[in-house]
Amino acid sequence: MTNVGLTYLLLIVITYGVLFRISPGRTRQSLAVAGQSLGRLFPLLIAVFALIGLFQVYLPPEAIQQRLGAASGWSALVSGGLLGAVAIGPPVAAFPLAGSLLAAGAWPPAIAAFIVSWVSVGVISLPVEAEVFGLRFALARNGIAFLAALLIGLLVGVVA
Amino acid sequence: MKLKGTLWTLLRSQWLLLLAIVLYGWAFSVTPDRALEALTVAGTSFSSVLLLIVAVMGLVGVIQVWISRDLISRLLGRQGGFRAFFIAAACGTVLIGPAYIIFPLLMSIRAQGARWGVIVTVLAAYAVKIPMIPLEVQYLGWGFSLTRSLLTILFAIPIGLAVEAIMERPAAIRPP
Repeated sequence: MTNVGLTYLLLIVITYGVLFRISPGRTRQSLAVAGQSLGRLFPLLIAVFALIGLFQVYLPPEAIQQRLGAASGWSALVSGGLLGAVAIGPPVAAFPLAGSLLAAGAWPPAIAAFIVSWVSVGVISLPVEAEVFGLRFALARNGIAFLAALLIGLLVGVVA
Repeated sequence: MKLKGTLWTLLRSQWLLLLAIVLYGWAFSVTPDRALEALTVAGTSFSSVLLLIVAVMGLVGVIQVWISRDLISRLLGRQGGFRAFFIAAACGTVLIGPAYIIFPLLMSIRAQGARWGVIVTVLAAYAVKIPMIPLEVQYLGWGFSLTRSLLTILFAIPIGLAVEAIMERPAAIRPP
């Protein structure tokens, strides 16, 4: 991730360099906008990462596994969606977890709902989303994304 | 009186940070070892995406100042028609990085004239990770991974339209 970040940052620095040659004034304006949005979101991001740390330690994969492995049917599907919604972390971490659950005999629709919800519904990042887009948007988007995750999970069970 | 107002503003704007501090305070008093572990996890994951955060904010600045409103609203606004949604779905599947870093980027596009449905479609299609499909297949098999990815793409545009409908409901019938 650090390398990816470095690559992107380098590309942006080059872009700013090129733009500066075209129009120094507008480039300074861009920098000001960038600085402002960084300053506004920085405390929120620090908070989100602090919470991520707490979640990874106090809600480790084993706990998720236990919860999802024990449930079945509808309650498994909803648990999958809810656990995906509160869990936060790279999908790289979701796949092995989901794989081990499937191997252990978990219901496939619940696992599919878990993955989709993991990536597209974020309870911890909801405050950031509300700060950027407004509360109404954040609630509507996450609510509908959650329902869609359950539906996609069910359909995966029918098709696959 | 002034101090009270300032405190209230601070509480309202930084409640999440305060919540995190309170939770850590609690965690440290109950299980210091695990709290320290959590803090380490937080620190390492934050530093690993810090450069990406700075880069994305730089991109936000470029989009807001240099990309013309006309172009964005022609491609991704109402004028873009259905093509706007296909562009959005395609962009969503190739984007990487945590969603909360993408939010400001999408908001800058929205501010330049993209419609709500397009923003939501990007975020919905974002659950398909084309760069990571090999990894998903390795753990979950072809049948499962492809079905899940295809269904996610199929749902992306309807999800976008649904949230847009909620956002654009007339104020009169908005719930209080």
